[in-house]
Amino acid sequence: MLKDRRNALWRPSRRLFLQGSAAAATALAAPQIARAQNKELYINSWGGPWLEAAQANLFDPFTAETGIKITTVSPVSFAKLAAQVRTGVYEFDVTTLGGGDIVRANQAGIIEDLDSPYEGGLFENGVASHAFATLMAWRTDAGWEETPQSWADFWDVEKFPGARSLQRYAARVLPIALLADGVAPEDLYPLDIERAFAKLDEIKEHIRVWWTGGSQSTQILRDGEVDMIGIWHGRYFEAEDAGAPVDFTWNQAEIDRAYWVVAKDTPNMEAAKMFVEFATSPEPLAGFVSQANYGALNPAANEFVADAAKPRMPTSPDNYPQVFEQDMSNWGGDPEEVSMRFDEWLAS
Amino acid sequence: MDRFLRWTGIAIVIFIAAPLVIVVPMSFSTSPTLQFPPPGFWLGYYAQYFTDESWLRPTFNSLLIALMTTILTMALVVPATFALVRHKFWGKGAANVMMMMPMAVPHIVMAVGYYSYFGSLRLVHSHLGVILAHTCLAVPITFLVLSANLKGFDRTLERAARSLGATPRQVFIHITLPILRPGLLISALFAFIQSFDETVVAIFISGRDAETLPRKMFDSIRQEADPVIAVISTLLFVAVFLGLIAPHVLRLFRKLFSRAAPKPVRATRNTQATTPQEVK
Amino acid sequence: MAVTLSTLTERRNLWPWLLLAPLAVYLALFFLVPLAEVAIMSVTEPRPGLANYEKVLTGSLYRKVFLNTFATAALVTVCCLLVGYPLAYLMNATTQRRAMMILLLITMSFWTSFLVRTYAWMVLLGNNGPVIWLLETIGFEDPPGILFTRFSSTLAMVHILAPYMIMNIYSVMQKIDRSLIRSAESMGAYGLSLFRHVYLPLTAPGIANGSVLVFVICLGFYVTPVLLGSPREQMAAGLIGHQIEEFLAFGLGSAMAIVLLVVTLIVLAIYSRRFGLDKLYG
Repeated sequence: MLKDRRNALWRPSRRLFLQGSAAAATALAAPQIARAQNKELYINSWGGPWLEAAQANLFDPFTAETGIKITTVSPVSFAKLAAQVRTGVYEFDVTTLGGGDIVRANQAGIIEDLDSPYEGGLFENGVASHAFATLMAWRTDAGWEETPQSWADFWDVEKFPGARSLQRYAARVLPIALLADGVAPEDLYPLDIERAFAKLDEIKEHIRVWWTGGSQSTQILRDGEVDMIGIWHGRYFEAEDAGAPVDFTWNQAEIDRAYWVVAKDTPNMEAAKMFVEFATSPEPLAGFVSQANYGALNPAANEFVADAAKPRMPTSPDNYPQVFEQDMSNWGGDPEEVSMRFDEWLAS
Repeated sequence: MDRFLRWTGIAIVIFIAAPLVIVVPMSFSTSPTLQFPPPGFWLGYYAQYFTDESWLRPTFNSLLIALMTTILTMALVVPATFALVRHKFWGKGAANVMMMMPMAVPHIVMAVGYYSYFGSLRLVHSHLGVILAHTCLAVPITFLVLSANLKGFDRTLERAARSLGATPRQVFIHITLPILRPGLLISALFAFIQSFDETVVAIFISGRDAETLPRKMFDSIRQEADPVIAVISTLLFVAVFLGLIAPHVLRLFRKLFSRAAPKPVRATRNTQATTPQEVK
Repeated sequence: MAVTLSTLTERRNLWPWLLLAPLAVYLALFFLVPLAEVAIMSVTEPRPGLANYEKVLTGSLYRKVFLNTFATAALVTVCCLLVGYPLAYLMNATTQRRAMMILLLITMSFWTSFLVRTYAWMVLLGNNGPVIWLLETIGFEDPPGILFTRFSSTLAMVHILAPYMIMNIYSVMQKIDRSLIRSAESMGAYGLSLFRHVYLPLTAPGIANGSVLVFVICLGFYVTPVLLGSPREQMAAGLIGHQIEEFLAFGLGSAMAIVLLVVTLIVLAIYSRRFGLDKLYG
């Protein structure tokens, strides 16, 4: 081995020269490839409270333990994940996907095969991490006489006049529309897509903003750009903690599960897989969900979860009976097709 | 009628001025929201901008990319402009059209092209990729400004130098370049600003490692309307303000201090205002 | 050596081409090739054929977006004219000093990054912003939200593009011979009739220049409509970006991009036949 290398040094072969210049060229053109040797990991970040909790409980401890530096990249984008495989240029190695996207991602072959780090933790090659909710929140200064109770009230623009906002994301919006139309949570799946779109037609002109990023949803609620919103619970509490006059209900809140996934063929594969295992192990996960009020999906984490955090967790015993879960295995349509249709519906 | 026109004028001036000045008080506001009037004033968001790497790095990237773009653009455009302004040759019309083409194509179209093309060349998310793209987009405006300057160039000086025995190279270095310097500087400035402000292509190709300031601002405005944007807006606005005021102040100073030997000052300002730059 | 080369090339008229060659090669590699790639993708992705164009040209959504893009561009152009013409006129009529101040303001607006100006409109029109505050202060009960509507994005685009219009009209007005106006007045042309028969025709080239410029830029506008507009009134560029970013629909996005490009070039071609393209950006 040593001898070989010395030989090569003496007589720089054509091949070595080619390798060298190729390496120089790639280093110039794509710094991230040259960086693969360095201990560095790029993680797709949701920003806001998610990032704060992840930084303190997942990223920093992981770096301390392994020496691998973590850099975050935002915003979270499913298409970016897919584009990485197409272009071969990796912006991030690890990301979290919701239930709707993970089926899409696994079908498209854009995420790595993973092993389950704990019993029942693997779903479509993503490792289950935490549960979060999309709930209904509103401005208390909207001047209504009554308090909204359910998604049906979200659709009731006469009783509760004002601008509204929902996420620009079909998989989360369609079930909400069906609930508003009177479908019972237990009869929701498989979804009646036609009926959901028909119900959405009714509210369309009242939706001022179809939000696309978590921080955007906080901002429009906090600043009063809209009076009523379907928003992630962590983002709602962010607005409430900022002192905005807002309120919410757990009733009919929609639970979604977030899964860690590794981008297919990423140059930082080993570090990425190590991180996913670390992030879903009991103690770091417990710290993470305690700070950001998520529900831990690794049952072993629950014994470490702080009691003080529980009232704000969608999966805590008090709150769980009021919420409903996404059921991606029995969803009722091709998520990709439906989201295309949703987008065309939006613009029409 | 006159009074009506007058008030219309005042209204229009307010319409144009209001958005420019509003960001200044907002940048000092203590409120994390876009609240008016601001509840209090501080410098906190300035401190945040100057200490936050996620804002400083895009700023640095943008400056670097704009500088490299300017150098590359000038290296390509200056010879080409000389050819087009000073020579008659077959195919000149076509060459002229070619120079202007990047201006006629909407940036979103080029963004799609670069995203795919540079993707296959592994140039997405690299400084080099953004520089190469921005140089194309900067060619028309640089050419326009420079050719306007070159067309107004009085060639008798060059001929005089030639007749006195100077070589073409000497003429170029000692006569042509010094006279043309203001024009060169202004066209370089246009190239720089074209790159520094360019948003659409940067959104698609600048990515993680070469993120430019406009891209970062765009993401931030779209996502959360971070108050730091007001700070950057104010800084950029003040930079423009100083850049525009500087020639006037300079002239004033010269007038004050050179009364002994008054010199005519060449006015170059009109090219700035009348030459557009592609906006997206 | 250098001399003989240069005389040789001069004689054969190769010298200008040598000067042009680097730029020509550069533009071919980094401008024409990516542009061609868009054209190719539009007929090959996801599979060869004209399916993408069929969808873009016949699908109700796409037709609506293109019509909306046209309507918005036209509206913005008209508004820019309504803002630009009186102001340019006043700049000519008022004192030198005031004209200089206004010119400085317009130049400043022009040079300020349009992202900054877009953001400023967001600040101005927000629910806690100065405009709503002013409306409430002068007694409006509960004024309607104006941010994220067609109104807000149109307003911002007018503001961003108005300098192009003003400068074009102003420079034409400045060249108008005052004696023409005076002689028209002496023949009894006043007010509206003077304006219609003398002033308007004389300023027409400026109006045409400014309008085409504003219209064409507006057709391809991405940033401002995306940030300030409503999702129901998308413009073509925004939808192209969305197709690529969210769905990686390179074929469909490319087909829309080509349609947008062709429309832009048609507008410019019509204009250049009438006036000459080089004058547009002068």
